[in-house]
Amino acid sequence: MSDLRELQQCFMGYLLDDSSSMIDEVESTPMLSAKGRLDIYASAYVLRLKEAMTTDYDKLALYLGDERFDKLMERYIDKFPSHTTNLRYFSVNLPELIRDEPDYAHIAELYELACIERAFADSFDAKDLQVATIDTLAALPEVAWENLTFDFQKSVQIVWLEHNSFPIWKALADDETPPKAEKLYPMAWILWRRSDLVTHYKMLATEEVAVLSLALQGKNFAVMCEKLLDFYSEEETPMKAIGFLQSWIAEEMLAGFKF
Amino acid sequence: MARPFLGFGLGLRTDHYQYVIDNKPEVDWFEIISENYMVDGGKPLAHLDKIRQDYPMVMHGVSMSIGSTDPLNTDYLGKLKTLIDRVEPQWISDHLCWTAVEHINSHDLLPLPYNESTIEHIVSRIQTVQDTLGRQMLIENLSSYVTYNHSEMPEWEFVNEIAKRADCYILLDINNIFVSANNHHFEPKDYVNGIDSDRVMQFHLAGHSYNGQMIIDTHDHDVCDPVWALYEYALGHFGAVSTMIERDDNIPPFIELRQELAIAEEIAANVLTPQQLQIRSKLDLQGVA
Repeated sequence: MSDLRELQQCFMGYLLDDSSSMIDEVESTPMLSAKGRLDIYASAYVLRLKEAMTTDYDKLALYLGDERFDKLMERYIDKFPSHTTNLRYFSVNLPELIRDEPDYAHIAELYELACIERAFADSFDAKDLQVATIDTLAALPEVAWENLTFDFQKSVQIVWLEHNSFPIWKALADDETPPKAEKLYPMAWILWRRSDLVTHYKMLATEEVAVLSLALQGKNFAVMCEKLLDFYSEEETPMKAIGFLQSWIAEEMLAGFKF
Repeated sequence: MARPFLGFGLGLRTDHYQYVIDNKPEVDWFEIISENYMVDGGKPLAHLDKIRQDYPMVMHGVSMSIGSTDPLNTDYLGKLKTLIDRVEPQWISDHLCWTAVEHINSHDLLPLPYNESTIEHIVSRIQTVQDTLGRQMLIENLSSYVTYNHSEMPEWEFVNEIAKRADCYILLDINNIFVSANNHHFEPKDYVNGIDSDRVMQFHLAGHSYNGQMIIDTHDHDVCDPVWALYEYALGHFGAVSTMIERDDNIPPFIELRQELAIAEEIAANVLTPQQLQIRSKLDLQGVA
């Protein structure tokens, strides 16, 4: 095979499923056969991808145990060949594979654990933006409030869970025995990176996630206040809305204001 | 004109960020893996910026896939250019290999057949990359485990010819020469002797593993004595070349790597004169041909 493209396709085929005629393209020596030589690359291919996945989902790996996590990784590597130049992004579809594959879908906390780990990774290296301050908010002209919207830190991630997956994640992170998985109720957790570069997380109250979701969608302050009327009286709503804004600023979730 | 000489460097690794920031150890320069910093923000870039303030850097890539028959990845080159603008490295390098085809990435450095048509293919791609990035690049020789039936020349001829025709430079990995020499039965000194000295801009040193049949380029051990001996020979042959140690697995405390780098310094001091070992980092790569 003298064509470079054909040769590369053939080599990649060998790495992916060991089925190509690549063996005919390389020399065997008394030291090692062509197959033995190619298998060095085939093994390295799988090992490298597994190493990246174990780094990205180390709590899930602990929770599943070596053998089951290894099987999961092999399934993922088969189904999702890498289309990225950066290994950091290779395993981004793992939660969806867990959700969609019958072998894993029935253990609901697995999908949620994977979502939590992916959210941490996405928060970890999200784009840096400036941090909005209370002073900037206070200095806004009155006219700004008529159509005020908010820029959040790119690191903000909302994860919806129905199980006690965060306590399971936390126990695994602390090297403790995780609690038994149990179904609870739909809960939103927020993860975001503060200026100390550490990712923080907390569970959101129903009313906060309602307005926060709107704010993240780019809805303005007036729309957020209207939503809060589902939870509070007309008198309480403005102060509650300002309270949420102040806490998002204090916790460094906000990057700026637009009006 | 003499080649730039940065002195003796180490690969910057996550495990050592805090030590380097806190202690500012005596290292002439750091090499970073470009892809580790081709992210949007957060700790990796914050640490990089901080360390860059105190040390010269070079950028070393693993995913350019210069030998692939896929079109050059313009998204990758754009991100690389952004990182170059941020780091302002002394130079950038990648491997003389292919990593992806049909947009599937092996995340490995896969070898190329050493023949004329491959040379033509790669030369034109390096020229495009250099035009896109507005600077010359270095290409690194691989460790390899296969020889293609369609190879028609020794690896060093292949490397030389590409560097000459593309007008780029060579990052000569001394350990990779040793590994490939063992795996393909050639004399490592023949490789060193065969490389065009004017094109050599940097050396890599690293450790490897023996799997019972082949030497595998694992970067998880100290540099071994035969590789140190080959390094000494290469210094005698080429003169002062910026040298660094790569360690990617089984990473020891920083201080141990620094001690290992001192071996390289000691060998160089025995082979070369103090004048040859004077740091010449300010020279513009474009002006050195």
